[in-house]
Amino acid sequence: MSTMKFDAIKIGDTLGPQEIPLSKEQVRTYARTCGMDVPRFTDDEGARAEGLPGMIAPGNLSLGMLSRLVTDWIGESGARLARLGTTYRQPVQPGHTITLSGFVTHIEPAEKRVEIDVWIESEDAERLVIGTASVEFP
Amino acid sequence: MAVEYDPELIGKVFEVTDPVDVSAQDIATFCAAMGETNPLYTDEAAAKKGPYGTIVAPPSYAVTFRNGRHFFTQVPRFGRAGFDAGKDVEFHAPIRPGDKITLSSHVKEIYEKTGRSGSMVFVVVRSTVQNQKGEVVAHIDHRFMNRP
Repeated sequence: MSTMKFDAIKIGDTLGPQEIPLSKEQVRTYARTCGMDVPRFTDDEGARAEGLPGMIAPGNLSLGMLSRLVTDWIGESGARLARLGTTYRQPVQPGHTITLSGFVTHIEPAEKRVEIDVWIESEDAERLVIGTASVEFP
Repeated sequence: MAVEYDPELIGKVFEVTDPVDVSAQDIATFCAAMGETNPLYTDEAAAKKGPYGTIVAPPSYAVTFRNGRHFFTQVPRFGRAGFDAGKDVEFHAPIRPGDKITLSSHVKEIYEKTGRSGSMVFVVVRSTVQNQKGEVVAHIDHRFMNRP
């Protein structure tokens, strides 16, 4: 895991990309574990009955994956994820590969804080989920 | 047309949950479901040397207490059933094994927006997540979108 130092971070530094082949089973497992096992997150038919194209991933799972993208980047540097904001623009559908990415947009030296843009992209390069994160260094 | 609602709704705590116990097993199960392999969350020996001296839950565990089958029952709705449009989460104290977590929630704001697909009403519910010591674990702003 990385042990990067705050002083070495530059605007434009990238997080990921992490390519994730998101399976229906993974989404079901997350939904069941987190008490979100409602039809839209567990089966295609139930999701279609709600007017969706098929089963979708819970927003919380997208948030969790973007949180993991940031904590993987933090590694063992001792920094911490202080804030994460997400906007769900389009449904994330399992059975497809999604790509998680991010980059450093701002550095606040006085507070040892880094601002990051993060997003989840579909196979068609559409941004399904966008977000921003703040990371604080010790 | 501006959305109409009872201004008394804003800022009033409408729900305080009973404490939920978080065990080491709960954190391990969550990590497995997330595919999480970070040693700070999954490896006791490595976590001991980390910033918290113990395994802690990944930050996103904080958002798992109120959703799906445990959804808010008293959130104001406008028109057809809403969906989760996004969240803003400020993380404070980590969640540790043995914690008892409560959520206290109020409506922060209600606003209307017109997008490509027409008019939408957003209801923002702010939850304060606390542990048994009264430490704030997280503030979560849940943005729910409704189609009038």
